[in-house]
Amino acid sequence: MASSPGPLPATEITRRLRARFGEDILEAGEPLDQPVVRVGADHYRDVIKTLRDDADFACDFFEYTGGVDWGERGFDVVTEVSSTSRRHHVRVKVACDKDEPTCPSISDLYPGANWHERETWELFGIRFDGHPQLVKLLLPEQFEGMPLRKDFTLMTRVAKPWPGEEETGEEQPG
Amino acid sequence: MGLIERTPLVQIQPVKFLLNWGRKYSLWVMNFGLACCAIELIATSTSKHDFIRLGVIPFAHGPRQADLLVVAGTVTDKMAPALKRVYDQIPDPKYTISFGSCSNCGGPYWDSYSVTKGVDQIVPVDVYVPGCPPRPEALLHGIIKLQEKIAGEDIREKWSGKLTGAPAGD
Repeated sequence: MASSPGPLPATEITRRLRARFGEDILEAGEPLDQPVVRVGADHYRDVIKTLRDDADFACDFFEYTGGVDWGERGFDVVTEVSSTSRRHHVRVKVACDKDEPTCPSISDLYPGANWHERETWELFGIRFDGHPQLVKLLLPEQFEGMPLRKDFTLMTRVAKPWPGEEETGEEQPG
Repeated sequence: MGLIERTPLVQIQPVKFLLNWGRKYSLWVMNFGLACCAIELIATSTSKHDFIRLGVIPFAHGPRQADLLVVAGTVTDKMAPALKRVYDQIPDPKYTISFGSCSNCGGPYWDSYSVTKGVDQIVPVDVYVPGCPPRPEALLHGIIKLQEKIAGEDIREKWSGKLTGAPAGD
């Protein structure tokens, strides 16, 4: 078996994506030597498709999709894909609207994304357009609310406030 | 009506002692392991800690063959109906040990949106074993405490099912 080429360096991955998508890549960086790009919702599928189909990226494995609630700034959908042959990872972030967060589904490109998107939908309330079966996955049927949103009320916290010095989830300096 | 309900013999102290003594060293345990505590429970059943020497028999093949339910781990609101159902299927006299902080009170998930804050909201609990997770020795201690409780029990009352919330008419 011919040895496969090694992983693309993080800077090379972000450089190639920038060269290909230009202004559509809103931000790119290499925190902790990992390639991270931020795109608008309308270019999310194109970027993922390129990462999957381009022979140099060869990202044949879907790692995860999750969400981040930034409060006033809205939501992020975070997706990571990787290449089993070249052993590199790429993280793609999609900025979503605060009031009606929606994001295109990639469950037709990576079947593994199906349940991740359902989970992100039920926990954050981020709609995935084009998802074939957007129904609850983990939460009980009768559960109301989106529990991983920052404004979700934890009833136990109402009865007993957080006893620690600082609120968990507060942004730490540095 | 069984023999226990009909005969006055069970109220006589030596008979009562003997029956309770027999019961406390024959506890078929139902493994309701839900998280890391389950590993400690299983470790207690294996050769090193070996709770068979205390008369606890691992593991009942189903709730209908069990005497003792050990809830070891994090009970979620979604799991709670299943736990209630398992408990209801155990015939009286039955006992419950809540093993570990999660099943005692929610433990580290005390403010979670999905975790039941204490298994005693779902089923009656006889012994609480604290720890996160408790060591097997702690479970052995909990079993000894339960056996002390069984030794002093009124058999008629225990058999009636009134203590364990059995449905009326059963």
